[in-house]
Amino acid sequence: MKYIGILIIVLALVIGILPQFTDCQSQGRAITTADGKTVPMKCHWTAVAELILAVPLAAIGGMLFFSKRRETRLALSGLGALIGVFVVLIPTTLIGVCASNMMLCNNLMMPTLVLTGILVVAAGLVNGFLAYRSNETMA
Amino acid sequence: MNLTRLALRNIAGNSFRSWVVILCAMLVAGLALATTLVIRGAENSLNLAINRLGADIIVVPEGSETKVEGALLMSTPANVWMPDSVVAKIANVPGVGVVSPQLYLSSMENSPCCSVSNMFLVAYDPTTDFTVEPWLKQKIGSGLNLGESVGGTYVFVPEGEQAIKLYGYYLTLKANIEPTGTGLDQSLFMTFDTASDMARISKTMAVESLIIPENSISAALVRVSPGVNIHDVAVEIFREVPGVLPIESLNMFQAYRQQMNGLLRSNLIILTITWALSVLLIGLVFSMAANERRRELGVLRAMGATRVFVLRSLLMEAGILAVGGGGIGLILTGLVILLFRNLIVQSLGLPFLLPSIPSLITQAAGGLGLAILSVTLAALIPAYRISHTEPAVAMRE
Repeated sequence: MKYIGILIIVLALVIGILPQFTDCQSQGRAITTADGKTVPMKCHWTAVAELILAVPLAAIGGMLFFSKRRETRLALSGLGALIGVFVVLIPTTLIGVCASNMMLCNNLMMPTLVLTGILVVAAGLVNGFLAYRSNETMA
Repeated sequence: MNLTRLALRNIAGNSFRSWVVILCAMLVAGLALATTLVIRGAENSLNLAINRLGADIIVVPEGSETKVEGALLMSTPANVWMPDSVVAKIANVPGVGVVSPQLYLSSMENSPCCSVSNMFLVAYDPTTDFTVEPWLKQKIGSGLNLGESVGGTYVFVPEGEQAIKLYGYYLTLKANIEPTGTGLDQSLFMTFDTASDMARISKTMAVESLIIPENSISAALVRVSPGVNIHDVAVEIFREVPGVLPIESLNMFQAYRQQMNGLLRSNLIILTITWALSVLLIGLVFSMAANERRRELGVLRAMGATRVFVLRSLLMEAGILAVGGGGIGLILTGLVILLFRNLIVQSLGLPFLLPSIPSLITQAAGGLGLAILSVTLAALIPAYRISHTEPAVAMRE
């Protein structure tokens, strides 16, 4: 079950780091307003939100690696799966990415986040199931 | 203890060995599915594009066939022109039923109307058209009037707007064509009159004006008379109309087909190497496992288990691992292709359309079958050898 903790840490790193290099801001693209100011596109805010989610997710992965208590593992798995759901929802519905499928945020950042989010949810559920079935209660 | 429980216990008993077999099965099933999905997806997309064009022959200016194919298939900009007088010449060729001219106009970069950055504009003659108009009449009951358009699946009216603004001209979007996975998905169709009107308005209302050369067309779509050989008509057009190249619909997109064949060859080589290595590795893992468990299996035989039972328990173990690994591989591959299809299309330079659910299930079943076959085949020899060893010999060693 320690492997799932490591997997979640790796996924958290992908979720936190990849969007910082694939959003439109990192590609030098921004919206120019009528008064000449530049405003970041919405994919940039998705990248920021994902970074915010990646930090607790990595912490959950670390705690899963060290934790042995059944109840703790169950709670951490549930929380991890919940964060995984938000990892998917942020680029798809809550904030979104740019509409053009030629842009890196649309064709690389969003699918990677959806895939890693699904893997986080799956890892959380599997770990939760294993914890539920295990008899370990020692700290 | 029944066969399945015994196999499951053995799988749980050696997680490293189980993971190696699962990973191999994942690779084999995933690669098999990826190969068939991408190649079949591109093939379906090409065929759908040819059907959607609805022409037996497409006549293009000589030397511009690759550009026109690129425009139709991948929506790459194409500025190709030939005199409109060729339409009358083609119509006079024996065997030609209908000829309809089309204009391929400059695509828009980062247009706000589309979820794609390049949009391909196609203008057609509604009096002779046999591709867009019949579909429109079936779908919305009428053809397109001045200022109206029909778009591919990626074309939409921007949020809060009533019409699509192009070159300072407002176009009403009447309908969307079903996805083809090709450049047609990001194309906007309009009549010649609308295109001329747009070009006129663009001179005063747009930053960059739309230029349509006088008395020019980009291509002519030909439908041959019933019962006439398409190839013979194409040869006649080539002979009688100078400066043009007739492409038979079945020969369309040859460059893409060659690219697809190259991709298929590379994928098959990778799949074969992966398959061979996986079978070898699984065989090795099962040989090690069989050797490790000689005494255990000897005891099992001494307690009354038949050779067939031991053989079946080992093959059952292999089968469970193959189904588990293959299933995970198929799900992951399906997800990756579904999510990254736009990136795959751009990287490979090929059109791609996801297959229908029954076709997807068939392809996935093929991938799973290959994984089960590979794992079972690899496990068969060590399983057979250990099951046929005498119990006393097995326990002594």
